[in-house]
Amino acid sequence: MADIEIKTKKGKCATKAPAKKVIRVDLTPMVDLGFLLITFFVFTTTMAKATVMDIVTPVDAPPGNTVCNSCALTVLLDKDNAVYYYTGAFERVNLQKSGFAAIREVIQQRKQLLDSMGRDKSQFALIIKSSDSARFKNFVDITDEVTINNVKHYYIDELTAEEKEAMELLHN
Amino acid sequence: MGRAKIPRKSTNIDMTAMCDVAFLLLSFFILATKQKPPEAVTVAAPSSVSTKAAPEKSILITLTKEGKTFLMMGDDIKKKDIIAAVNTAKSLGLSDAEVTKISKMPVIGVSLGQLKPLANRADEFSAAQMPGIPAKDSTNNELVDWIRGITTAYAGSELSLNDLQQMILLKGDGDALYPDFKNVKYALKKNGLYKFRIVTNSENAPVGSELYKLNRENPAGKKE
Repeated sequence: MADIEIKTKKGKCATKAPAKKVIRVDLTPMVDLGFLLITFFVFTTTMAKATVMDIVTPVDAPPGNTVCNSCALTVLLDKDNAVYYYTGAFERVNLQKSGFAAIREVIQQRKQLLDSMGRDKSQFALIIKSSDSARFKNFVDITDEVTINNVKHYYIDELTAEEKEAMELLHN
Repeated sequence: MGRAKIPRKSTNIDMTAMCDVAFLLLSFFILATKQKPPEAVTVAAPSSVSTKAAPEKSILITLTKEGKTFLMMGDDIKKKDIIAAVNTAKSLGLSDAEVTKISKMPVIGVSLGQLKPLANRADEFSAAQMPGIPAKDSTNNELVDWIRGITTAYAGSELSLNDLQQMILLKGDGDALYPDFKNVKYALKKNGLYKFRIVTNSENAPVGSELYKLNRENPAGKKE
Protein backbone atom coordinates (compact mmCIF):
# COMPACT_ATOMS: atom_id res chain seq x y z
CA MET A 1 0.00 0.00 0.00
CA ALA A 2 2.42 2.59 1.07
CA ASP A 3 5.40 2.51 -1.14
CA ILE A 4 8.69 3.74 -0.09
CA GLU A 5 10.65 4.42 -3.15
CA ILE A 6 14.30 4.44 -2.76
CA LYS A 7 15.99 6.24 -5.50
CA THR A 8 19.35 4.84 -6.00
CA LYS A 9 21.75 6.92 -7.87
CA LYS A 10 23.49 4.98 -10.46
CA GLY A 11 27.12 5.54 -10.74
CA LYS A 12 29.92 6.49 -8.54
CA CYS A 13 28.85 7.18 -5.03
CA ALA A 14 25.74 5.02 -4.81
CA THR A 15 26.62 3.65 -1.45
CA LYS A 16 27.88 6.80 0.15
CA ALA A 17 25.00 9.31 -0.18
CA PRO A 18 22.02 8.82 2.11
CA ALA A 19 19.11 7.32 0.13
CA LYS A 20 16.27 9.77 -0.57
CA LYS A 21 12.92 8.25 0.40
CA VAL A 22 9.71 9.21 -1.39
CA ILE A 23 6.68 8.07 0.58
CA ARG A 24 3.65 7.43 -1.56
CA VAL A 25 0.42 6.19 0.02
CA ASP A 26 -2.04 4.37 -2.18
CA LEU A 27 -5.33 6.17 -1.57
CA THR A 28 -7.56 3.83 -3.57
CA PRO A 29 -9.17 2.12 -0.55
CA MET A 30 -9.69 5.51 1.04
CA VAL A 31 -11.56 6.67 -2.05
CA ASP A 32 -13.62 3.49 -1.99
CA LEU A 33 -14.56 4.14 1.58
CA GLY A 34 -15.49 7.73 0.81
CA PHE A 35 -17.83 6.83 -1.98
CA LEU A 36 -19.30 3.99 0.00
CA LEU A 37 -20.20 6.41 2.77
CA ILE A 38 -21.67 8.86 0.26
CA THR A 39 -23.93 6.22 -1.23
CA PHE A 40 -24.94 5.11 2.25
CA PHE A 41 -25.94 8.62 3.29
CA VAL A 42 -27.75 9.35 0.06
CA PHE A 43 -29.84 6.21 0.33
CA THR A 44 -30.69 6.50 3.99
CA THR A 45 -31.74 10.15 3.84
CA THR A 46 -34.18 9.85 0.96
CA MET A 47 -36.01 6.88 2.42
CA ALA A 48 -37.65 8.46 5.43
CA LYS A 49 -40.06 10.88 3.82
CA ALA A 50 -43.44 11.37 5.38
CA THR A 51 -46.37 12.53 3.34
CA VAL A 52 -49.49 14.29 4.45
CA MET A 53 -53.07 13.90 3.45
CA ASP A 54 -55.76 16.52 3.79
CA ILE A 55 -58.85 15.97 5.86
CA VAL A 56 -61.85 18.20 5.77
CA THR A 57 -64.29 17.91 8.61
CA PRO A 58 -67.85 19.11 8.19
CA VAL A 59 -69.15 22.25 9.83
CA ASP A 60 -71.79 21.59 12.46
CA ALA A 61 -74.65 23.29 10.70
CA PRO A 62 -78.05 22.24 9.49
CA PRO A 63 -77.54 20.32 6.26
CA GLY A 64 -77.76 22.69 3.38
CA ASN A 65 -76.92 20.48 0.45
CA THR A 66 -78.50 17.12 0.15
CA VAL A 67 -77.09 14.21 -1.75
CA CYS A 68 -79.32 12.31 -4.13
CA ASN A 69 -80.36 8.88 -2.93
CA SER A 70 -78.67 6.88 -5.63
CA CYS A 71 -75.52 8.96 -5.42
CA ALA A 72 -74.80 8.30 -1.78
CA LEU A 73 -72.89 5.36 -0.47
CA THR A 74 -72.55 5.17 3.28
CA VAL A 75 -69.66 3.24 4.71
CA LEU A 76 -69.62 2.17 8.33
CA LEU A 77 -66.39 1.19 9.98
CA ASP A 78 -66.26 -1.23 12.85
CA LYS A 79 -63.85 -3.23 14.96
CA ASP A 80 -61.59 -5.90 13.45
CA ASN A 81 -61.31 -3.98 10.17
CA ALA A 82 -64.93 -4.71 9.31
CA VAL A 83 -66.67 -2.48 6.81
CA TYR A 84 -70.41 -2.25 6.28
CA TYR A 85 -72.10 -0.29 3.58
CA TYR A 86 -75.47 0.70 2.23
CA THR A 87 -76.67 2.89 -0.57
CA GLY A 88 -79.13 5.71 -0.33
CA ALA A 89 -81.20 6.08 2.80
CA PHE A 90 -80.68 3.71 5.67
CA GLU A 91 -82.73 0.58 5.83
CA ARG A 92 -81.78 -2.37 7.91
CA VAL A 93 -82.06 -4.85 5.06
CA ASN A 94 -79.77 -2.79 2.90
CA LEU A 95 -76.78 -3.05 5.18
CA GLN A 96 -74.11 -5.32 3.80
CA LYS A 97 -70.87 -6.57 5.22
CA SER A 98 -67.64 -6.02 3.37
CA GLY A 99 -63.95 -5.59 3.95
CA PHE A 100 -61.25 -3.14 2.96
CA ALA A 101 -60.22 -5.26 0.01
CA ALA A 102 -63.75 -5.40 -1.38
CA ILE A 103 -64.92 -1.87 -0.69
CA ARG A 104 -62.98 -0.44 -3.63
CA GLU A 105 -64.90 -2.72 -5.93
CA VAL A 106 -68.17 -1.53 -4.39
CA ILE A 107 -67.29 2.12 -4.86
CA GLN A 108 -66.33 1.54 -8.47
CA GLN A 109 -69.52 -0.37 -9.15
CA ARG A 110 -71.63 2.40 -7.70
CA LYS A 111 -69.85 4.98 -9.81
CA GLN A 112 -70.34 2.93 -12.94
CA LEU A 113 -73.98 2.38 -12.13
CA LEU A 114 -74.41 6.12 -11.77
CA ASP A 115 -72.76 6.56 -15.13
CA SER A 116 -75.03 4.02 -16.83
CA MET A 117 -78.05 5.77 -15.35
CA GLY A 118 -76.98 8.82 -17.28
CA ARG A 119 -76.03 10.87 -14.27
CA ASP A 120 -72.86 12.72 -13.57
CA LYS A 121 -70.25 10.42 -12.07
CA SER A 122 -68.82 13.23 -9.99
CA GLN A 123 -72.09 13.46 -8.10
CA PHE A 124 -71.16 10.31 -6.26
CA ALA A 125 -70.72 10.92 -2.56
CA LEU A 126 -69.19 8.77 0.10
CA ILE A 127 -70.41 9.13 3.65
CA ILE A 128 -68.03 7.82 6.25
CA LYS A 129 -69.24 6.82 9.67
CA SER A 130 -67.16 5.11 12.24
CA SER A 131 -67.98 3.18 15.38
CA ASP A 132 -66.10 3.72 18.60
CA SER A 133 -64.21 0.48 18.27
CA ALA A 134 -62.81 1.20 14.81
CA ARG A 135 -59.16 2.08 14.51
CA PHE A 136 -57.54 5.25 13.26
CA LYS A 137 -55.94 3.20 10.50
CA ASN A 138 -59.37 2.20 9.20
CA PHE A 139 -60.38 5.81 8.93
CA VAL A 140 -57.20 6.72 7.07
CA ASP A 141 -57.68 3.75 4.76
CA ILE A 142 -61.20 4.70 3.82
CA THR A 143 -60.23 8.32 3.22
CA ASP A 144 -57.47 6.95 1.07
CA GLU A 145 -60.05 5.04 -0.97
CA VAL A 146 -61.65 8.40 -1.69
CA THR A 147 -58.42 9.53 -3.33
CA ILE A 148 -57.80 6.22 -5.02
CA ASN A 149 -61.23 6.09 -6.61
CA ASN A 150 -61.29 9.78 -7.43
CA VAL A 151 -64.41 10.42 -5.39
CA LYS A 152 -65.21 14.11 -5.44
CA HIS A 153 -67.38 14.35 -2.36
CA TYR A 154 -67.00 12.70 0.97
CA TYR A 155 -68.50 13.46 4.33
CA ILE A 156 -67.56 12.40 7.81
CA ASP A 157 -70.57 11.76 9.97
CA GLU A 158 -71.65 10.15 13.22
CA LEU A 159 -73.40 6.82 13.54
CA THR A 160 -77.07 6.75 14.38
CA ALA A 161 -78.45 4.38 17.00
CA GLU A 162 -80.23 2.35 14.34
CA GLU A 163 -77.07 1.88 12.37
CA LYS A 164 -75.18 0.80 15.45
CA GLU A 165 -77.81 -1.78 16.24
CA ALA A 166 -77.88 -3.16 12.72
CA MET A 167 -74.12 -3.36 12.67
CA GLU A 168 -74.07 -5.33 15.92
CA LEU A 169 -76.53 -7.79 14.46
CA LEU A 170 -74.45 -8.33 11.37
CA HIS A 171 -71.25 -8.68 13.32
CA ASN A 172 -72.50 -11.66 15.26
CA MET B 1 18.43 -3.04 -36.73
CA GLY B 2 18.07 -1.29 -33.46
CA ARG B 3 14.67 -1.39 -31.86
CA ALA B 4 13.32 1.86 -30.41
CA LYS B 5 13.13 1.63 -26.68
CA ILE B 6 9.67 2.29 -25.25
CA PRO B 7 10.06 3.61 -21.79
CA ARG B 8 8.08 1.64 -19.24
CA LYS B 9 5.59 3.86 -17.53
CA SER B 10 4.21 3.17 -14.12
CA THR B 11 0.47 2.58 -13.90
CA ASN B 12 0.20 4.11 -10.46
CA ILE B 13 -2.45 6.80 -10.47
CA ASP B 14 -2.36 9.44 -7.82
CA MET B 15 -5.54 8.97 -5.86
CA THR B 16 -5.17 11.98 -3.61
CA ALA B 17 -7.38 14.24 -5.69
CA MET B 18 -10.05 11.58 -6.03
CA CYS B 19 -10.01 11.04 -2.32
CA ASP B 20 -10.41 14.74 -1.72
CA VAL B 21 -13.46 14.86 -3.97
CA ALA B 22 -15.04 11.87 -2.26
CA PHE B 23 -14.73 13.30 1.20
CA LEU B 24 -15.75 16.76 0.08
CA LEU B 25 -18.97 15.30 -1.31
CA LEU B 26 -19.45 13.26 1.82
CA SER B 27 -19.09 16.24 4.11
CA PHE B 28 -21.38 18.25 1.86
CA PHE B 29 -24.14 15.66 2.03
CA ILE B 30 -23.84 15.28 5.75
CA LEU B 31 -24.05 19.00 6.35
CA ALA B 32 -26.72 19.65 3.74
CA THR B 33 -29.20 17.08 5.00
CA LYS B 34 -31.62 18.34 7.53
CA GLN B 35 -31.82 16.53 10.76
CA LYS B 36 -35.11 14.85 11.42
CA PRO B 37 -36.80 16.52 14.37
CA PRO B 38 -36.43 14.34 17.40
CA GLU B 39 -39.29 11.96 17.75
CA ALA B 40 -40.57 12.20 21.25
CA VAL B 41 -42.96 9.33 21.03
CA THR B 42 -42.87 6.60 18.48
CA VAL B 43 -46.02 6.00 16.54
CA ALA B 44 -46.58 3.79 13.53
CA ALA B 45 -48.34 6.02 11.05
CA PRO B 46 -50.72 4.39 8.58
CA SER B 47 -49.98 4.61 4.88
CA SER B 48 -51.79 6.48 2.15
CA VAL B 49 -51.39 7.16 -1.56
CA SER B 50 -50.89 10.86 -0.93
CA THR B 51 -47.81 12.33 -2.57
CA LYS B 52 -47.73 15.64 -0.75
CA ALA B 53 -44.62 16.19 1.31
CA ALA B 54 -44.98 17.30 4.89
CA PRO B 55 -44.38 21.02 5.41
CA GLU B 56 -41.22 22.09 7.18
CA LYS B 57 -42.76 24.32 9.76
CA SER B 58 -45.56 22.54 11.45
CA ILE B 59 -47.58 22.05 14.55
CA LEU B 60 -47.68 18.36 15.16
CA ILE B 61 -50.28 16.63 17.26
CA THR B 62 -49.21 13.10 18.04
CA LEU B 63 -51.70 10.45 18.97
CA THR B 64 -50.30 7.27 20.42
CA LYS B 65 -51.71 3.79 20.41
CA GLU B 66 -52.94 4.25 23.97
CA GLY B 67 -54.77 7.42 23.00
CA LYS B 68 -52.30 9.85 24.59
CA THR B 69 -51.95 13.17 22.83
CA PHE B 70 -48.79 15.22 22.57
CA LEU B 71 -48.13 18.58 21.03
CA MET B 72 -44.98 19.51 19.19
CA MET B 73 -44.44 22.95 17.80
CA GLY B 74 -41.93 23.29 15.02
CA ASP B 75 -42.10 27.07 14.83
CA ASP B 76 -39.66 28.28 17.45
CA ILE B 77 -40.58 31.93 17.11
CA LYS B 78 -44.22 31.44 17.94
CA LYS B 79 -43.77 28.71 20.49
CA LYS B 80 -43.30 31.13 23.36
CA ASP B 81 -46.27 33.21 22.24
CA ILE B 82 -48.45 30.13 22.17
CA ILE B 83 -47.50 29.11 25.68
CA ALA B 84 -47.92 32.68 26.89
CA ALA B 85 -51.37 32.81 25.26
CA VAL B 86 -52.43 29.60 26.98
CA ASN B 87 -50.97 30.93 30.22
CA THR B 88 -53.09 34.08 30.14
CA ALA B 89 -56.22 32.40 28.82
CA LYS B 90 -56.26 29.72 31.49
CA SER B 91 -54.55 31.89 34.18
CA LEU B 92 -51.93 29.31 34.98
CA GLY B 93 -49.73 31.81 36.80
CA LEU B 94 -46.55 30.92 34.98
CA SER B 95 -43.70 33.40 35.26
CA ASP B 96 -41.76 34.55 32.21
CA ALA B 97 -38.88 32.28 33.07
CA GLU B 98 -41.19 29.32 33.35
CA VAL B 99 -42.77 30.07 29.99
CA THR B 100 -39.31 30.22 28.43
CA LYS B 101 -38.35 26.95 30.04
CA ILE B 102 -41.45 25.18 28.77
CA SER B 103 -40.91 26.60 25.29
CA LYS B 104 -37.51 24.94 25.20
CA MET B 105 -39.02 21.53 25.74
CA PRO B 106 -39.37 19.55 22.53
CA VAL B 107 -42.79 18.21 23.37
CA ILE B 108 -45.73 19.15 25.54
CA GLY B 109 -47.48 16.17 27.03
CA VAL B 110 -48.88 17.11 30.41
CA SER B 111 -52.10 18.66 31.60
CA LEU B 112 -52.28 22.41 32.14
CA GLY B 113 -52.12 21.99 35.91
CA GLN B 114 -48.90 20.04 35.66
CA LEU B 115 -47.12 22.65 33.56
CA LYS B 116 -45.85 24.69 36.51
CA PRO B 117 -44.34 21.73 38.39
CA LEU B 118 -42.87 20.52 35.11
CA ALA B 119 -41.14 23.84 34.48
CA ASN B 120 -39.55 23.67 37.92
CA ARG B 121 -38.31 20.14 37.63
CA ALA B 122 -34.58 19.90 37.68
CA ASP B 123 -34.23 16.51 36.05
CA GLU B 124 -35.01 15.55 32.51
CA PHE B 125 -38.50 14.34 31.93
CA SER B 126 -38.78 12.32 28.77
CA ALA B 127 -41.88 12.35 26.64
CA ALA B 128 -42.45 8.65 27.14
CA GLN B 129 -43.02 9.32 30.84
CA MET B 130 -45.48 12.12 30.20
CA PRO B 131 -49.17 11.32 30.62
CA GLY B 132 -50.20 13.24 27.52
CA ILE B 133 -52.49 16.24 27.19
CA PRO B 134 -55.93 15.29 28.50
CA ALA B 135 -58.26 15.11 25.54
CA LYS B 136 -60.36 12.12 26.39
CA ASP B 137 -63.74 13.73 26.24
CA SER B 138 -65.33 16.97 25.21
CA THR B 139 -65.83 18.25 28.78
CA ASN B 140 -62.18 18.09 29.75
CA ASN B 141 -60.42 18.53 26.44
CA GLU B 142 -57.33 20.60 27.13
CA LEU B 143 -56.25 20.26 23.56
CA VAL B 144 -58.99 22.79 22.81
CA ASP B 145 -57.15 25.32 24.98
CA TRP B 146 -53.86 24.59 23.27
CA ILE B 147 -55.32 24.98 19.81
CA ARG B 148 -56.95 28.20 20.93
CA GLY B 149 -53.55 29.38 22.12
CA ILE B 150 -52.15 28.56 18.70
CA THR B 151 -54.85 30.43 16.83
CA THR B 152 -54.44 33.47 19.11
CA ALA B 153 -50.69 33.49 18.70
CA TYR B 154 -50.96 33.35 14.93
CA ALA B 155 -53.92 35.74 14.71
CA GLY B 156 -51.80 38.86 14.31
CA SER B 157 -49.21 37.33 12.01
CA GLU B 158 -49.02 37.35 8.25
CA LEU B 159 -50.29 33.78 8.13
CA SER B 160 -53.84 33.35 6.95
CA LEU B 161 -56.19 30.81 8.46
CA ASN B 162 -55.65 28.64 5.45
CA ASP B 163 -51.89 28.70 5.94
CA LEU B 164 -52.37 27.75 9.55
CA GLN B 165 -54.60 24.86 8.57
CA GLN B 166 -51.88 23.65 6.25
CA MET B 167 -49.47 23.65 9.15
CA ILE B 168 -51.49 21.55 11.50
CA LEU B 169 -50.49 17.95 11.25
CA LEU B 170 -51.87 14.99 13.03
CA LYS B 171 -49.68 11.99 13.36
CA GLY B 172 -51.60 9.11 14.74
CA ASP B 173 -50.80 5.51 15.40
CA GLY B 174 -52.75 3.21 13.11
CA ASP B 175 -53.99 1.24 16.07
CA ALA B 176 -55.31 4.22 17.98
CA LEU B 177 -59.03 4.01 18.53
CA TYR B 178 -61.34 6.17 16.49
CA PRO B 179 -62.80 8.11 19.47
CA ASP B 180 -59.30 9.36 20.33
CA PHE B 181 -59.00 10.73 16.84
CA LYS B 182 -62.47 12.20 17.14
CA ASN B 183 -61.39 14.13 20.23
CA VAL B 184 -58.50 15.70 18.37
CA LYS B 185 -60.85 16.52 15.52
CA TYR B 186 -63.23 18.06 18.02
CA ALA B 187 -60.49 20.27 19.48
CA LEU B 188 -59.58 21.60 16.04
CA LYS B 189 -63.16 22.08 15.00
CA LYS B 190 -63.96 23.94 18.20
CA ASN B 191 -61.40 26.55 17.15
CA GLY B 192 -62.68 26.94 13.63
CA LEU B 193 -60.06 24.75 12.02
CA TYR B 194 -62.02 22.49 9.74
CA LYS B 195 -59.12 21.34 7.66
CA PHE B 196 -56.02 19.63 8.85
CA ARG B 197 -53.55 17.10 7.63
CA ILE B 198 -52.71 13.59 8.61
CA VAL B 199 -49.13 12.39 8.45
CA THR B 200 -48.86 9.10 6.61
CA ASN B 201 -46.26 6.92 5.02
CA SER B 202 -46.47 6.99 1.28
CA GLU B 203 -47.49 4.03 -0.78
CA ASN B 204 -48.12 3.62 -4.47
CA ALA B 205 -51.54 3.89 -6.01
CA PRO B 206 -52.95 0.38 -6.54
CA VAL B 207 -52.54 -0.80 -10.11
CA GLY B 208 -55.70 -0.43 -12.16
CA SER B 209 -57.44 2.03 -9.86
CA GLU B 210 -58.71 5.38 -11.06
CA LEU B 211 -55.92 7.25 -9.37
CA TYR B 212 -53.40 4.99 -11.05
CA LYS B 213 -54.89 5.79 -14.43
CA LEU B 214 -54.98 9.50 -13.64
CA ASN B 215 -51.34 9.45 -12.65
CA ARG B 216 -50.43 7.66 -15.86
CA GLU B 217 -52.29 10.18 -17.98
CA ASN B 218 -50.48 13.17 -16.55
CA PRO B 219 -47.55 12.14 -14.42
CA ALA B 220 -46.54 15.72 -13.77
CA GLY B 221 -49.95 16.97 -12.77
CA LYS B 222 -50.11 15.55 -9.33
CA LYS B 223 -53.24 16.31 -7.44
CA GLU B 224 -53.05 19.45 -5.47
